[in-house]
Amino acid sequence: MKKTRSMLVGIAIVLCLALTAATWSAEKGTPENPWVIGMSQCNLGEPWRVQMNADIKSAADAAPSIKVIYKDAQNDTLRQRAHIEEFIGQGVDLLIVSPKEAAPLTPIIRNAYTNKIPVIVLDRRVVGEDYTCFIGADNKKIGEAAGRWIAGKLNGKGNVVELKGLMTTTPGQDRNSGFRKGIEGTEIKVIFEADMKWLEPDARKEMESALARFDKIDLVYGHNDPAAHGAYLAAKAAGREKNIIFVGIDGLVQEGQAYIKQNILQASFEYPTGGKEAIEIALKILKGETVPKEITLKSRVFTPENLEKGGEWLPEMPASSAPAQPAKKEQ
Amino acid sequence: MIPLVSNTSQKTFISRLMQYPVTRAILALIVIFVIGLVFNGGGAFFKWPAHRDMLRQYSVFGILACGMTIVIITAGIDLSVGSMLGLSAVVFSLLTIHRDWNPWHAIPACIAMGAILGVVSGGLISRFRIQPFIATLAMMVFARGLAKFISGGMKISTSIQQADGSYIYKNDPAIFKMIDSRILDGNLAVVTLIFIFCLFISWLILSRLRIGRYLYAIGGNEEAARLSGVPVIKAKIFAYGMCGLFSAIAGICQAAQEYQGDPEAGVSYELTAIAIAVIGGTNLMGGRGSILLTLFGTLTIGYLDKILSINAVSEAGRLMLTGVIIVSAVLLQRRRK
Amino acid sequence: MAEKKPILLMHNISKRFGGTAALEGVSIELYPGEAHILAGENGAGKSTLIKILCGVYSEYAGRIVLENRPVKFSSPQDAARHGIAAIHQELSLIPAMSVSDNIFLGREKMKKNGTVDFSAQTIASQKILKRLGIDGVDVHRPVEEYPISIMQMIEIAKALSMNSRIIIMDEPTSALTEPEVNKLFETISALKLQGHAIIYITHKMEEIYKIGDRITVLRDGRFVAAAPIADMARNALIRNMVGRELNEQIQRRSKVCAEELFRVENLDIADPQGNRNLVNDVSFSARKGEILGIAGLQGSGASELLNGIFGAYGPVSKGSVFLNGNPFVVRSPGRSIEQGLALLTNDRKTTGLVLGMSIVENITLASLPQYSPVCWMRNSMEQKAALRYKQELNIKADELSREVSSLSGGNQQKVALAKWVGTKPLVLLLDEPTRGIDVASKHEIYELMNRWTAAGCAIILITSEMPELIALSDRIIVMHRGRISARLEGDRITQENILHAAMGQEREVA
Repeated sequence: MKKTRSMLVGIAIVLCLALTAATWSAEKGTPENPWVIGMSQCNLGEPWRVQMNADIKSAADAAPSIKVIYKDAQNDTLRQRAHIEEFIGQGVDLLIVSPKEAAPLTPIIRNAYTNKIPVIVLDRRVVGEDYTCFIGADNKKIGEAAGRWIAGKLNGKGNVVELKGLMTTTPGQDRNSGFRKGIEGTEIKVIFEADMKWLEPDARKEMESALARFDKIDLVYGHNDPAAHGAYLAAKAAGREKNIIFVGIDGLVQEGQAYIKQNILQASFEYPTGGKEAIEIALKILKGETVPKEITLKSRVFTPENLEKGGEWLPEMPASSAPAQPAKKEQ
Repeated sequence: MIPLVSNTSQKTFISRLMQYPVTRAILALIVIFVIGLVFNGGGAFFKWPAHRDMLRQYSVFGILACGMTIVIITAGIDLSVGSMLGLSAVVFSLLTIHRDWNPWHAIPACIAMGAILGVVSGGLISRFRIQPFIATLAMMVFARGLAKFISGGMKISTSIQQADGSYIYKNDPAIFKMIDSRILDGNLAVVTLIFIFCLFISWLILSRLRIGRYLYAIGGNEEAARLSGVPVIKAKIFAYGMCGLFSAIAGICQAAQEYQGDPEAGVSYELTAIAIAVIGGTNLMGGRGSILLTLFGTLTIGYLDKILSINAVSEAGRLMLTGVIIVSAVLLQRRRK
Repeated sequence: MAEKKPILLMHNISKRFGGTAALEGVSIELYPGEAHILAGENGAGKSTLIKILCGVYSEYAGRIVLENRPVKFSSPQDAARHGIAAIHQELSLIPAMSVSDNIFLGREKMKKNGTVDFSAQTIASQKILKRLGIDGVDVHRPVEEYPISIMQMIEIAKALSMNSRIIIMDEPTSALTEPEVNKLFETISALKLQGHAIIYITHKMEEIYKIGDRITVLRDGRFVAAAPIADMARNALIRNMVGRELNEQIQRRSKVCAEELFRVENLDIADPQGNRNLVNDVSFSARKGEILGIAGLQGSGASELLNGIFGAYGPVSKGSVFLNGNPFVVRSPGRSIEQGLALLTNDRKTTGLVLGMSIVENITLASLPQYSPVCWMRNSMEQKAALRYKQELNIKADELSREVSSLSGGNQQKVALAKWVGTKPLVLLLDEPTRGIDVASKHEIYELMNRWTAAGCAIILITSEMPELIALSDRIIVMHRGRISARLEGDRITQENILHAAMGQEREVA
């Protein structure tokens, strides 16, 4: 009895050793043994985030040395935290995370970082500095750029309706404060503003109210393209769409840029997803190169005039301002 | 439904009038209307466009409320109407924009899909005796998931992605433009017409058809109805099937007005539909209510929303005011014994 | 009984609702240690008077003097604090809560630290139940596990735990079997000896003369007479109540044919919620024009038998049924109605009527296809039919569009009967058709039963009122524990035979 048991244990140990040796022998970062990247997305309800994942996927598919595992937290902070814990437990080689909120997720992300897992934070920040690289666009700057563009277009004077995104989220607040900074000092008046919660039907409803109330509206600034589109439909139904300029943010090919093409919007400010850049940076990190701590994505503005040549880069977007920090993949 | 007179005979004409649920519903509407006259958003409330646009916006909610009323009368509830709206919007857009279906095939197809899902809910509730709250909650989650699955999580619009990643752009289908247009010299939205049509169908079912009497009996006392030979299972399945059907119609209207099929469309619309039914005076305990009440409920909530909108009330303010006014309206509705 | 001072005096009480006077100048005197019968037809004002006494109505004219002090109750809690407890037909117990929790509901015994003292409540509950002579009740079990008779005892226990001096009992025996009624009466006697005063409302003649000490009769909201029981004979009582001589004898004009109409063979009815049989191997038949009575105490399975035959529990597990010689399919109520069977349930409020619907709608509910060709409702046809039934059954209602909940018990029952007659049945199953109904309505229903059987219908009747059962039935079958324990006809129909068979005792036939 005892003999057979110890024999079985012995075989089990030998098998385990053999397996580990087998995996160790294949080098990491090859198609046979790719680096594993965990991608934690806070939600896939917004098409913009679906686009972000799609951008990551197309960049990752082109790089056979990496494999990406996607987890969708369905906008639940606790679930996202659980997902990150799972990635840590799995021992992923790198973590890309677009967190739902900063404070509740900072500890777990810090945990990954201090445990030698490189972390790329996408689009929404965490608190503090415990990450490898932050990639995102600056909503304040985009809002400000939009404000300046609008001020230029209206020659510094006019009545503007602002359709705001959910003002309890940072993008909404930033696109609003940036815009107000951009029109500072001009005679542009925001005669009507409402929170349309990023939803097109709500934007349409608010625009209808604005149209009922004000005879002279020069321009509509929507915090996202669906809002501007909804406003357009409301104006069209009232027969006033020709007298109003419509401006939106997001600039997705099938949405904002399509609206520009159809002459529904006169300007759409790109809000880049950063998915492609995330994979580029990830590959650099995994290969042991240094990467900057902060990468602010460049953004373009699309107008009917410049759509063919792919929009115009906005001038006040610096490529990167933070000093480079060594972020090698450790042994 | 034969109008019910309450038990005690009251002295004054007014208090006798107040016994009718319709009077109370109209009263709530009048109160909101007066509020609108006072807080008229810089005069916007006095102009016709504000009213016409409110009707346009609330037609979709009103259509959902028609189905919800039918279900609530059986002492049930349907939490899945918002998700079914989204699913129907997605399927309708997919068929007409991407697959170039004849709209007069696509519309019946979507409506049939809504009806079938409604029948499934009804079957779970009546045949398998699952509580309506639970069964329709499950359907709500399932339908939303199905909508996201069919659409790949992206809005189905006239920008269609090709295999190589580029996009081609189609024109808005004529059916979308037709549904999103207005008739009568620009004064009545087509969706409002559809809403009125749905009201009419619901009225027929509840007041003029035998099945309506069955539904009221089931809601009033299901066991007594069953023992009186009422076909309870079939009737309930019918009620939920109709609710699904109306949700599908609402989804088509929503898609047409957005010129796209958004899998996220209709989130939390079921709460608005329930609020409309309740404010109108339909009792959640079942056995009472009518489509006329639902019409007034739609107008009441619609005007409330519009007044808050034209006065540019902050989001926080809107939420709090809406909560207070809903409770006040329900208290106003209390039956006097 | 020594003459004492009255414990309660209600003097010249009047109450109006809108234009109608529910009570005008009614007075009642209550002495400690007596059971005082409050009698009157439905609508005489008994429940209004009681509600005033219980503090439900605080607006009325007149005086109430309790133990020599004038009082005016502002709320039911106020009345309860003054020692007035009421036990209604609809029990006010919470089914899922335990016995002791129910007894102390609203007046929980608290510990010093603010939590409920459950053990003190348990001990106190057990003491009270013992005082009432009730064994076998575990005060920790939920109340719904006990039969209605025990639930009523628990209500009485609740009243006692509140030290109520005056206990009002409204039709307490409608759901009780005879041994349970006797137990209740023993309890009442004990309560009387302890000095409690009891106001007892009942329609049952035997009870009035068995338990009552004094009696007050109301009619149409007015006081008619008050007297010691010994001074008011039955005929005089009825005359006081209805204002006319009513021959209390129940007339049965039997026209039974020899032809068999309905037959049941070897029927088993399984418990829908369990795995036992409620009815075992029952066979019987009913002839055209016959009233077949079914007698049985609680748990006998009589009600379940009728419900099962009607299809209320779905298909039967064993046995067959025949109507007019043809096989009768037992599947669902709807199917049974189609084939010519109708069932009046024993609880009109929960299973008989849809209280929120109008009188017309209730009358037509079981036969809607008659009034809705091609599924389109014809209101005028409904109205005509309802009017016809209103006249035929003498339903007292001013407007047929009123909710049926506004009617008195007797009229509600007539609406339920109208519903079933409207289905044009061949066999009418009646389960306690006269429960909780005033005398005049009862007699009207007896007359209707005579009329229907004369037209060729057969009636299968369950009733727990012995005189009614004996007078009306042409034959009687007695059930005990799900089986038929006796078949009686002619001379063998006696109260003793019935009771013995109902209790399962074999008796030598004389």
